[in-house]
Amino acid sequence: MSLLRVDRSRIQHFDWVFAGLVVGLMTMGLVNLVSAAASGVEGGSDIVSRQMMVIGLGVFVMGIVIVVDYRHYDRFAYFLYAGCMALLILTLAVAEETRGARAWLFSGRFQPSELSKIGMVIALAHYFGRTPPSSIERLRDLLVPALIVAIPVGLIVLQKDLGVAVLTLLIGLTLLPLVNVPSRAWFGMALFGAAALAALWQYGLKGYQQERILGFLDPSRDPLSSGYQQMQSKIAVGSGGLFGTGWQEGTQTQLRFLPTQHTDFAFSVLAEEWGFIGSMMTLGLYAAMLFWGLLIARNSKDAFGAVLAIGLVGTLLWPAAINVAMVIGLAPVIGVPMPLFSYGGSALLSAAISIGLLLNISMRRYVF
Amino acid sequence: MNEPFGETRLSHHADGPGDIRLWPVALIILVIFGVFAFRLFHLQILQGESLASRSQANYVRIVRLEAQRGAIVDREGRTIAASRLAYDVDVIPHEVQNPWRTYSVLGEILGRDPGELSEQVGQPRGRRRFQSVTLAKDVSEELRAKVASYRYALPGVELVRQPLRDYVYDGMAAQLLGRIGEIGTRELAKEAYADYRSGERIGKTGLEATNEQHLRGRAGGENLVVDVAGREIDKIDMIEPTPGGRLVLSLDLDLQRVAEETFRRPAPDPPLVDEHGKPKPPPVDYMGALVAMDPRNGDVLALVSAPSYNANAFAGGVGTETWRDLNNDTWRPLRNRAIAGVYPPGSTYKAVVAAAGLAEGVIDATTVVTCPGHFRLGRRTYRCWKRAGHGPVNLEQALAGSCDVYFYELGKTLGVETLARYARLFGLGRTTGIPVRGEVGGLVPTPEWKMRTRGERWIDGETISLSIGQGANLTTPIQLAVAYSVIANGGDVVEPRIVLRRETWDGEVISEEPAIIRERGVIAPAILEIVSKGLLAVVGPGGTGRRAAVPGINVAGKSGTTQVVSLDLIEGLEPKDVPIKYRDHALFAAFAPVEAPEIVVVAVVEHAGFGGGAVAAPMVQKVLAEYFRKKEERVPSEFAAIMISPPGEAGGRPSLFVGALDENALHAEAFGTQGLQ
Repeated sequence: MSLLRVDRSRIQHFDWVFAGLVVGLMTMGLVNLVSAAASGVEGGSDIVSRQMMVIGLGVFVMGIVIVVDYRHYDRFAYFLYAGCMALLILTLAVAEETRGARAWLFSGRFQPSELSKIGMVIALAHYFGRTPPSSIERLRDLLVPALIVAIPVGLIVLQKDLGVAVLTLLIGLTLLPLVNVPSRAWFGMALFGAAALAALWQYGLKGYQQERILGFLDPSRDPLSSGYQQMQSKIAVGSGGLFGTGWQEGTQTQLRFLPTQHTDFAFSVLAEEWGFIGSMMTLGLYAAMLFWGLLIARNSKDAFGAVLAIGLVGTLLWPAAINVAMVIGLAPVIGVPMPLFSYGGSALLSAAISIGLLLNISMRRYVF
Repeated sequence: MNEPFGETRLSHHADGPGDIRLWPVALIILVIFGVFAFRLFHLQILQGESLASRSQANYVRIVRLEAQRGAIVDREGRTIAASRLAYDVDVIPHEVQNPWRTYSVLGEILGRDPGELSEQVGQPRGRRRFQSVTLAKDVSEELRAKVASYRYALPGVELVRQPLRDYVYDGMAAQLLGRIGEIGTRELAKEAYADYRSGERIGKTGLEATNEQHLRGRAGGENLVVDVAGREIDKIDMIEPTPGGRLVLSLDLDLQRVAEETFRRPAPDPPLVDEHGKPKPPPVDYMGALVAMDPRNGDVLALVSAPSYNANAFAGGVGTETWRDLNNDTWRPLRNRAIAGVYPPGSTYKAVVAAAGLAEGVIDATTVVTCPGHFRLGRRTYRCWKRAGHGPVNLEQALAGSCDVYFYELGKTLGVETLARYARLFGLGRTTGIPVRGEVGGLVPTPEWKMRTRGERWIDGETISLSIGQGANLTTPIQLAVAYSVIANGGDVVEPRIVLRRETWDGEVISEEPAIIRERGVIAPAILEIVSKGLLAVVGPGGTGRRAAVPGINVAGKSGTTQVVSLDLIEGLEPKDVPIKYRDHALFAAFAPVEAPEIVVVAVVEHAGFGGGAVAAPMVQKVLAEYFRKKEERVPSEFAAIMISPPGEAGGRPSLFVGALDENALHAEAFGTQGLQ
């Protein structure tokens, strides 16, 4: 088993369906971005070309990820994990505060927390690959996986990047249904979780973050910031109707009533201009991609690959879920972009790694 | 399990024993995307329409385009009140990117404290941050250019144009034109203002008020597509505002200007000093009113109420302080004295009494009364103003010398009821109908009136006072002008006409105001001719009104001096020591030329301190002189026009017209030839 073994059978087993779904989603995202950029948001003219460059970079990264047999990631799982944690700590130490968070390196171009999600998933898959989740029946057996999740979440909370912290936690929790822990244990954990949330609210959240969540619960509370943004987003989505206003015809988008429309509210642009039909098609495509990811898990030849695939589906599911929920007014405004769809380098590269790993697992499903 | 994502046995794989349950994750995905589908259906299909209308409310802004208020012009089409575009400096808080720089630069330009500006704008939230705050109203052109040059450096600062009333000759005929101001809540509640919005400017007084509907115009509007910052992106549609109509007045600007100047007291030379040698403020201008009117049709040619005020100060909205000052000013500049000031007519009333005596057959032109300087009724003695007496006088002499005794005698014979009846025939004691808000009716006293208002019986002595225009007699200057018009035009009571016609803003005639004769032939022309002859003598050599004489024109007139308080109060005081409010009013009423009167002028000077012949007559004289000077000037120009019109005759001697125009001919010839060169 050489490190870089890409023979004919690998190419033969390349998962064209999954890749096709991904390309379809990214194409829609790009078409949508062109419209959002046309409204004259700041740096609008550069946005599209920059996104194309990032996509190119993503394909490159994806290629590197695919070439290496995924079982090598199993072997170096804790190294990779430790490396990600070191990056998070480094970020905490050197990053300057932007928009209230210390989450970015290289003057705002690189977000280590995006990478650490995947490092965490690999470490979890490594652990569950050796300790089958179905054999875990006591809460205390979850101590190691809990630690694997808690360390990055804690570090990201310290970075004051609430959105990504919640996201990382949710991705970690995706694997929980796999274990056989009885219900009363879950009850106890729910209690603990509630206490932790309360503590987080009190000590972890800044005033404006609390405001955002309160503003979500009661939009009339502060129409200026998050409630106002969400209101504009709901108006945009709703005014799309069945067929939408047409590409580059959405008034909420083109007259910039939509906030951050190329990143966080990219889906509103789609919903306004393509209507119910367009948004359902996009969501359908996205769901199909996720289900296909689960199929990859099912067909994986080993437990590490299966758990890893589920975790990777989690890295694609949760940002999209939070983003769409925020856009259609089901969740508070937290700056999480929609993977493969929104503008943004870090998120796209992170998604590219996830996609690359899933393709990796998929194309090696018959390898023994 | 046969589900695709059911429990998967991985035991057949090389290193992966154990079960991986996939269905919980699949369920999570299904639930999440199912909820999204429902939510999208709810938002886009069920609420789609209402949210789409909210989206429209976001980006469509209806902007009202204010109509320019119609111009007010004089009879020759010269603009008195115009509408011009004023520029305000506004700030849209949301668009200000660098408040500190914005306000310090603006403060520099406007000459205000940056902190104060910043405070005025504040930090509005929500939609209000898109609403502009006005920092300076009606800025100068220079300032406007400065602000405009910073346009790109100071986002959020805007110059907003809006029409503003501009009284071209500030203060001229101010009370007649009236004021405009923001509509009040009480007016908004009225049916007449149903289609007005709060904040709109309406005519509050004067012609601005009575012609509100004509001058207002119709506001237009436009539907704009605006972006989130409120910037105009596109225009959906637009309805042009229709400017308000033109109002053509009967006023003659030249005459009005001359008339107003007569009330200006010249600065004393050398300047006044008080007993300590310190300079004293110059005397205030004369207070009073002047009306010049065409007796044939009631056209008001000039209408002055002095003192006046700065009309443009009101146009931009007047501060409460200025308003209070003007309203409480001792001299009441806001009141239109020509139609709302009431004065005892004094000796000007004698013309009416004379007409009554002649019409009743009590006297004729030859009736002679001997004036010993006083008149006795019962135990009281009524003095003639000329203590030495006028001796035997006929009507003409009585009018010319303003002999009181003649009229005491006549009044006593006629009786109070007859006097009142004739006063009313002349249009006194009721409003003249001039279409300007705020006219008062004056008072023609009768025993019945006295009983009703004071519950006292009439005393015969009051009739004596009445017959020389004193006592409870109260007239407005415009009423006197109407009364003298009756004499001038041979017996018709005219209704003063101030508006000649209404035109659209671009000069199309909408309606013409007809000249209205209220009553015809109230007094026989023969009688009025006798009175006119007497009034002609007043202005003649030796008459009390000789200072009203205009060379070459036969002017008829009558002076009047009315006491404000009983003589006992000021007995023994030098004229200059009498407190102003105790000083006499001076009046003069005149018309000319006697043979075919074209103009009636009435001047009233409050507390002049001297008689009508001394103060008011020269004022009337100046107005009459201007009128006839203009008339003389006009004739040759008309003549020139006639002369030019037939082609081929240019340069030909217009001998045909020379004879016809006699003394104007030389002017005409000179003008005509000059015009042709």
